[in-house]
Amino acid sequence: MSNFQMDDSKTLWQRWNRNAERNPDKEAIVHWVAGEEPVRWTYKNLIETAKKFSIRVKEAGIKPGEVCAIVMHHNPFFYPLYLGISRAGALPAVLAYPNPRLHPDKFRQGLEGMAQRSGLDYILTERELDPIIRPLIEKPGSTIKSVFFPLEWDYKNEVDKKLDDEIEKIALSIKETDPILLQHSSGTTGLQKPVVLSHRAILNHVQNLGNALKLSDKDKFVSWLPLYHDFGLIACFQIPLAYGITSIHINPFEWVLAPILLLEAITKEKATVTCLPNFAYNVLAEKIHDDELNEISLESLRAVINGAEPIRHDSHQKFTEKFKKHGFNPLALSCLYGMAEVTLSLTVHEPGKPIPELTVDRNELSNGVMKLAGKDSVVRVCVSTGRLIDGCDARIVDENRKDLPDGIVGEVAVKSVSMFDGYRNYPEKTAEVVENGWYFSGDYGFRYNDEFFVIGRKKDLIIVAGKNIYPEDIEDTVNQVDGVDPGRVVAFGEEDEQMGTEQIAVIAETKAESEKEKNDLRIAILKTGMSIDVNIHKVYLVPSRWLIKSSAGKPSRKANKERILSREDKQVWSR
Amino acid sequence: MISQELKKVILNELDLDDFDLQDETMAPEVPGWDSLNHVNIIVAVENKFGVKFKSYEVLRLKNVGDLQKLLNAKLGK
Repeated sequence: MSNFQMDDSKTLWQRWNRNAERNPDKEAIVHWVAGEEPVRWTYKNLIETAKKFSIRVKEAGIKPGEVCAIVMHHNPFFYPLYLGISRAGALPAVLAYPNPRLHPDKFRQGLEGMAQRSGLDYILTERELDPIIRPLIEKPGSTIKSVFFPLEWDYKNEVDKKLDDEIEKIALSIKETDPILLQHSSGTTGLQKPVVLSHRAILNHVQNLGNALKLSDKDKFVSWLPLYHDFGLIACFQIPLAYGITSIHINPFEWVLAPILLLEAITKEKATVTCLPNFAYNVLAEKIHDDELNEISLESLRAVINGAEPIRHDSHQKFTEKFKKHGFNPLALSCLYGMAEVTLSLTVHEPGKPIPELTVDRNELSNGVMKLAGKDSVVRVCVSTGRLIDGCDARIVDENRKDLPDGIVGEVAVKSVSMFDGYRNYPEKTAEVVENGWYFSGDYGFRYNDEFFVIGRKKDLIIVAGKNIYPEDIEDTVNQVDGVDPGRVVAFGEEDEQMGTEQIAVIAETKAESEKEKNDLRIAILKTGMSIDVNIHKVYLVPSRWLIKSSAGKPSRKANKERILSREDKQVWSR
Repeated sequence: MISQELKKVILNELDLDDFDLQDETMAPEVPGWDSLNHVNIIVAVENKFGVKFKSYEVLRLKNVGDLQKLLNAKLGK
């Protein structure tokens, strides 16, 4: 049973402090590094170190309400820094550390876009990024005030009592409706939408999601998810920390190279809850040798929560088959669906029960109707994302935002006590998606017996391994490749069943004719993708005027994807 | 020095006709070699040469030269 009690904490800082007072020696964060002893933060140590960081934040001139982007590797001092920023009344915004393949100009361009849109005031990072970030700050008209290197700050000496009292006053003056953090959606060229969440939104979510998952003080989270992603930040960091339980954090860069790290952490720490995007089930089930699993026991796991990308029946099957001999209980399979705009979650499947699945007629479904499969049907297995959590309401609506009955596919519209406060400095975008308190998600799905099934998207967003990628970003970049007809590019997500995720495909019109010209063009397209840290998996080259245009006169992603995947056109060159 | 056999397996997995793979070449420099694909390349190398790498061995690889050295050690070269 859940034993989370909402107390009178109005802010996360108060809540974290309460947890430290109640259970000072309980582990708050276990920072996991492959092959090393983990760094263990108790609630007491974490709070004490966070206080020291908050003083350095104030000394740096950072004021309440200002936004601090944190761009750091997996580091044990990330956590007290994050809490320290919050105590000082500023808003932490975690951004991805640039992958070596990302071109510095593109990284700068992304930061600049975010700064202009959401008003990043400071960048807190590591010294090695100074040469890349500094020109951005020195540029005339820059909205970024300064760059700091908090890992070089003094957090060992005792705190100055007077300064500490001043900051505590700031912390106490923060209201529950004040923002706590800023989250950016993916995207590289200004398409990011900065979501602002309040203390109240997160505290409400702790209670409602905690209840839905039947969290208790015996639970222990383990995660390899990056903290710039809401599934990592909210589900695996904010929720356990506010709840007063332990979360173990594995380096995402290490996990992708050695997925066994997650299983080792579960085994050694007896973790009970983990969160995984769908592709991770495939990787864990298929890419680890059995002889490395001798010491692995997943008996402690009571919830493995699938989220952040479409949930696939096959992935759950593969995972269960592989790990049941290592103590995995299939009833621990769980899932959630939601979006940053409602803090994280709208629906959750309660762990401990089988996840409802429907075997439906694929053709009927593509016409918008859920019909159970008959003997002649081409089938699709739809996996439920669960039922509404407390404090949330949802409707399935048609294109005029009118309600649709159960079993009919439409757009998911949401209302939640953990709703965001709008996109920061982006009222026109907020107005597009919020109407009368309802957030229109752009996701397509249907409701059946109070279960929500999400089956697609209105938006052309591509989700690769849980990471959202806008096709516009890819198209803009590929458009600049010599040999591609300008403006005649389409990017889309292509299902990769083996990996359990989508992969990026590009269709480009070209006048290239010989095999060599086409091969060279493909390499140029792959390389331009690399420069924005996007891995283009498949390139389709087509002759000029091949692409189907939409009514707006631009190449249609949907129509061209369908045409390409029908694989009937001999003019298409692909590799 | 990267052997022709290893180079062939990697390029084949990435669907590339050619790429100048040197000892110092790191995955992010090679088209298609991202973190998601990395695991597939490792499995392809294992299958081709009939060896098995441990997760921690893979984790320590910094470049293609390290992969070649690890492979040589497994093959007793």
